[in-house]
Amino acid sequence: MLAESATFFPRSLDRYWRTGQAITSIPLGVTLSVDNPIRQGIEAYLQGAGIEAGYGYFAPNVPNSYKIVFELRYADGRTDYELPRVGGAATGLRLTSLFDRIAEERYEPLRAMFVRMLTYSLWQDHQDAVSIRAVVGYVRLTTPGEFERGQKESYHVLFAYDFDFSKAKPPGR
Amino acid sequence: MLLRELHYRLQRFLFYSEIDHWLTLLRIGLALQIFLYCLALRSDWIQLFASEGRGLISRDLTEAIVSVENVVSPRLGWIVAAGNYLGLDQDRILWFVWWCLLCGALCLLVGILCRSAAVLVWFLHLCTTNSAALFSYGVDNFTSIGLFYLMLAPLPDRWSLDARIRPTTPKDQRVQGFHRRILQMHMCLIYFFSGIAKSVGVGWWNGTSLWRALTRPPFNVISPDLLIAGKNILPVLGIVVCVAETGYPFFIWPRKSRPVWFASIIGMHIIIGIAMGLYLFALIMIVLNTAAFGPGLIGSKRLALKERPTGSR
Repeated sequence: MLAESATFFPRSLDRYWRTGQAITSIPLGVTLSVDNPIRQGIEAYLQGAGIEAGYGYFAPNVPNSYKIVFELRYADGRTDYELPRVGGAATGLRLTSLFDRIAEERYEPLRAMFVRMLTYSLWQDHQDAVSIRAVVGYVRLTTPGEFERGQKESYHVLFAYDFDFSKAKPPGR
Repeated sequence: MLLRELHYRLQRFLFYSEIDHWLTLLRIGLALQIFLYCLALRSDWIQLFASEGRGLISRDLTEAIVSVENVVSPRLGWIVAAGNYLGLDQDRILWFVWWCLLCGALCLLVGILCRSAAVLVWFLHLCTTNSAALFSYGVDNFTSIGLFYLMLAPLPDRWSLDARIRPTTPKDQRVQGFHRRILQMHMCLIYFFSGIAKSVGVGWWNGTSLWRALTRPPFNVISPDLLIAGKNILPVLGIVVCVAETGYPFFIWPRKSRPVWFASIIGMHIIIGIAMGLYLFALIMIVLNTAAFGPGLIGSKRLALKERPTGSR
């Protein structure tokens, strides 16, 4: 966290933080191979006890909010815009975790797979759409000063994916 | 001599005599948490956990990612595979899990079959958390922590139906004390590192982080126009959060500062729940804090007299 986030420590200390991280993660078995039984055992215990993640929520800084917008195109030339839809507010809060994960995923094929699945889920409710563009972006939040000057939050595109559904068949048919 | 004294002090600290009110609070609080978790996710249950392209993100993919890290992580895929073997379809199995979680929570609430219910709820909750790992956030970690402690704790407590129906020999009060101590120390670690992590960010000292947390979708419950009216107190509140969290392990133990610190932490979580819509997160933190440091908050002198170790010399 200290090495990768903006803190009030100078960037020149980053390498020391990384060394510290490497040393402190040895007891957690992360230096062992993934299939090592000791590492697997430690990991199972950490997950079972709910302690596999650190306690730095909204720390050291509050990140920008990610968002996915779908652009649906129909055979008659119409275009609609949709956001991912869920049934309840509790799941809505969980969607933000998913968006964070998608936007921060460094392995491109996996990120594309996440977006493809979300798009396919949306298409099932709009099966007359022939293609869907999924746009992943982040919402740049304003500072209190910017808000007072009338500035609004802005949406910035990070990635876009096009999916063709012209030959897709509805599931279960 | 010094080592002996240290050993004695450590033993006195860890294995102090404790009554099981804390466990009653933990059991009932976690039961409520799981009950509300089930109700809150009911409308999206299948969408969250379905595979074969029917969910938002297929469960198969999430479980594959989780299994790369750990092949023995409990997951819904195991239960679905067992159900399929018995000829049940995926939806029925997922709803069966939902009902098991709900019934487990109700058993914990009234305190019947406490141990079995605690193990079942811990396991099923872990399965759902792992199978929807991409959707999980802090509330799942803290619920897992609470359920893990509950599962291992000396159940049943005296207020449970189990204890009323089948009276058993009372649990060793030092074992009660030890389990509560572990929870207390864990809470101290959580807040200390959370506070330190916030304190190294500039935004928590000038109010920016608090502003961003409260205006960031989907946590933007309060209108920014209302927030901007109180912009001058945002830096103060940001610093208060850092101080309350970092100071937790230092000020929650002394009898004089404990009520103030406890109230400020509980107040912070109530505000987070209301102002950011994080009701379940607020509830689990209140439950863990109340179980850890709630009992004995008032009249702690009387309890402290009971804390004298027995048989430790």
